Amino acid sequence: MYSIGLRYCGGCNPQIDRSTVIKTLKEGLEKMGIEIYFTTDRQRTVDVILLINGCMHACLEEECLREGDSPQFIPVKGEMVDSQYVREEHIPEFLIKRIVDLLNSPSHSTSSQAN
Amino acid sequence: MLNGKEYIESLRGLNLEVYFFGQKIKSIVDEPMFQPHIHTAAMTYELAHDPEYEQIMTASSHLTGERINRFTHIHQSIDDLVKKVRMMRLLGQKTGTCFQRCVGLDGLNAVYVTTYDIDQKYGTNYHERFKEYLLEVQKNDWMPSGAMTDARGDRSIRPSKQAHPDTYLHIKERLEDGIIVSGMKAHITGAINSHEIITMPTRTMGEEDRDFALSFAIPADTKGVTYIFSRQTNDTRRLDGVLDGGNPKYGIVGGEAIIIFKDVFVPWGRVFMAGEYDFSNELVETFAGYHRSNYGGCKVGLADVVIGGSNWIADAHGINNASHIIDKLTEMIAMAETCWSCTLACSYEGYRTPSGAYHIHPLLANVTKLNITRMVYEWMRLAQDIAGGKIITLPSEKDLENPETMDILNECFAGKEGFSPRDIIKMLRLIENMSVGAGLPEAMHGAGSPAAQKIMIARRSGIDRKMELAKSIAGINKDKYFEGIIGKDEDAHWDEVKKKIKGKKVQIY
Repeated sequence: MYSIGLRYCGGCNPQIDRSTVIKTLKEGLEKMGIEIYFTTDRQRTVDVILLINGCMHACLEEECLREGDSPQFIPVKGEMVDSQYVREEHIPEFLIKRIVDLLNSPSHSTSSQAN
Repeated sequence: MLNGKEYIESLRGLNLEVYFFGQKIKSIVDEPMFQPHIHTAAMTYELAHDPEYEQIMTASSHLTGERINRFTHIHQSIDDLVKKVRMMRLLGQKTGTCFQRCVGLDGLNAVYVTTYDIDQKYGTNYHERFKEYLLEVQKNDWMPSGAMTDARGDRSIRPSKQAHPDTYLHIKERLEDGIIVSGMKAHITGAINSHEIITMPTRTMGEEDRDFALSFAIPADTKGVTYIFSRQTNDTRRLDGVLDGGNPKYGIVGGEAIIIFKDVFVPWGRVFMAGEYDFSNELVETFAGYHRSNYGGCKVGLADVVIGGSNWIADAHGINNASHIIDKLTEMIAMAETCWSCTLACSYEGYRTPSGAYHIHPLLANVTKLNITRMVYEWMRLAQDIAGGKIITLPSEKDLENPETMDILNECFAGKEGFSPRDIIKMLRLIENMSVGAGLPEAMHGAGSPAAQKIMIARRSGIDRKMELAKSIAGINKDKYFEGIIGKDEDAHWDEVKKKIKGKKVQIY
């Protein structure tokens, strides 16, 4: 089963409802019959890391860049995913597409990493 | 990078058509009515060469890696955003007025961000064109003016429906090699002493206003471009001598002008938006965000000057230890530092846009500017309070120098020992210049009026989420963290509490 590591920013003043985004994402994947294990355990090896920043300032991304993480992550930054503006209600749908693309990419199998 | 003197000399190479006081001006650089503004803009060049200030006045170009004046830089990090507002405060401190060049800087950054996004949607090549232009700006150390505000006519009518077609700048004709534009831009800061003009739309455009969704850059002396320079408070005092002007070196506000475009040709290579009306709002808001954040830097620099001046004048009058003076100065400092905190916050909370350039936090930038529209008036009121009524009743420099009246005026304006009457008058004139003149409405309306800031604040405040927070604490919504703390369902918890009270099982009930 594929696994996704979830990392949340501190959530001081989020522009988006982070937990609702993840809940809707999980439901969407389930409906599509895609089984994915989600974990917040940073020590666990995962296929993709999802960075859930509440706003575009994206504290979490800065932290990951400082730590020198592999680029195999998908950053949500408020109403922006990667480098695209996405309205809050469309974020789960956008993420599903990104996750499916990443998991289907030939490189993903070699890039599993500690979360 | 040019220095101050080289910048002024570079303006001699331009041949602008400028009108002022009913006359066509032959030499902008040599005209005493314009010189203070030119000196102020020159400070943005001069300080870049001082090792004491180069850390904030210069940057490394992300296009070439070369050292450039920060006023031509595209912000590449949070640190760049912070250094930008530090630069604004520094220049406010050094000139005591508007140094004009930030408008072009914000225009460069806003167009950079927006052209990238337009290209992503439409497959156009505006961004690459703009980068070519940016290279020229950086290489030549140009000062572009940022021309956003149109004349606007009847604000209730859309641009394309105005009685006069040139009320808003627009495309008249699309040619194979470029476009023909006409229209006008108003209140354009530093326009007559800039090398270039960058235009941007002034408002959100609809489909019917397609030809008004327009951005381009042209040399300031392009054929068909005419400038009408605006007046400022007490401007002709510059012709009366040195002292009466108040800030004779650097003037008052930025030196604004109306720019008329009459059938001006713009080659496609210099066009950065031509009809993409759905991006007009992004360009306006991006520019406004950058520009509003600046005000917490530059106006605080001015506050530093006026606070220093107020303390000096209180000392000269022998009242600087009076408790009410200390209290007023402390109020001024607290307000200025509040605005500074706002602009630092909106810089530190900035973010990376898809283009790679960094943008400030829009909500906090608008809060910064809204505070400025109020607090500048308040700290200038306190400066007037401390300085006294003299700031509006001072005699002229000519009377101070007339042997018939000189001695009695020196006696009249004598202060504490060690302060010459002439110096006291100099400082009072500076406070008059800064607190009575055009600088106040400039703080109100520059970068947009308070209503514009409130629209942005309301739009970005996330008030729905605030309601959810209140509902959770009020007990209207479930509070999962509270339930975690008490270890049970919230309703069950309150039932138990009520039972305990009813059964008198608590000490106080």
